[in-house]
Amino acid sequence: MIPTEAHGTIALQPSACTSCMICVRECPTWCIELESHTEQVSEPDARRPKTVNILDAFRIDFGLCMYCGICVDLCPFDALAWSPEHDLAATTAGGLVLGIDELSRAWPNRNPTSGS
Amino acid sequence: MTPPLDLAVEPGDWLRSVVALRDEGCEVFDFLTAVDRGQVIEVVVRVMNPATKAATMVWTTVPADAAELASLSEHYLGATWCERETAEMFGVRFMGLADQRPLLLRATLGRPPMLKESALVARAVREWPGAAQATDDGRQGGNPSRRRQLPPGVPDDFLRPDRSSLDQSAGTT
Ligand code: SF4
Ligand code: SF4
Repeated sequence: MIPTEAHGTIALQPSACTSCMICVRECPTWCIELESHTEQVSEPDARRPKTVNILDAFRIDFGLCMYCGICVDLCPFDALAWSPEHDLAATTAGGLVLGIDELSRAWPNRNPTSGS
Repeated sequence: MTPPLDLAVEPGDWLRSVVALRDEGCEVFDFLTAVDRGQVIEVVVRVMNPATKAATMVWTTVPADAAELASLSEHYLGATWCERETAEMFGVRFMGLADQRPLLLRATLGRPPMLKESALVARAVREWPGAAQATDDGRQGGNPSRRRQLPPGVPDDFLRPDRSSLDQSAGTT
């Protein structure tokens, strides 16, 4: 039985990520890559449209990641978390590079019974 | 007696303090390493008492330009490896260490790589994934900034053309 708080892999919650680049900068092994662009969003009661970052790509190369957890600790928006998923294997080095889909699928469900 | 958890000593008292802990029961050598604080290098050793499971960290500080410390290798099995590593990585000389062979690096490499002044060569030759402008102000997008940001660990002038040689070649053509 793997404990839910186990440090199996790093997971991403893309809706929480603001593309601030902090994790990309601080990762000691440079194994995070991020691509984003800005869009204007009009809100009904705002005078001017708001500029927001849209996350286009987010990749972690688990062939380089050393599981230090610095990205998890530093993300100001809790968009990164430790996940107990641990069965990462690939037949090529490139297969260890995970994108938004795989990283968000690993997002930990720590309170399965208290869900809304 | 339970030794204090953390003990800072003068470099001249290093050997005596650690051997005193060993005599009090801290017979297991855990690790020894260093931290580069700029002008000084901190050296730390962790020893444990196998009976009580208590561990003690002993710290000392040596000047970076004269980083010398007495070796614990005569008194602790296992200290040799850590002292060889700390000598190689941080340039600390362990007086009385019988085996001074480098562990990983060629003796000709230059500056010890774990000193903060040593350029991180791998970072100079790769494009920094963090070079794009920060976007937490919501304005810059993920676009690369016009003023190139340098990654930490690479000095400004490292592996970049020397200005004077550029000016010279411009003058001769
Ligand atoms: S755990 Fe460490 S090495 Fe891995 S992506 Fe995060 S900061 Fe980088
Ligand atoms: S630190 Fe968090 S919010 Fe910022 S880019 Fe990384 S994952 Fe996204």
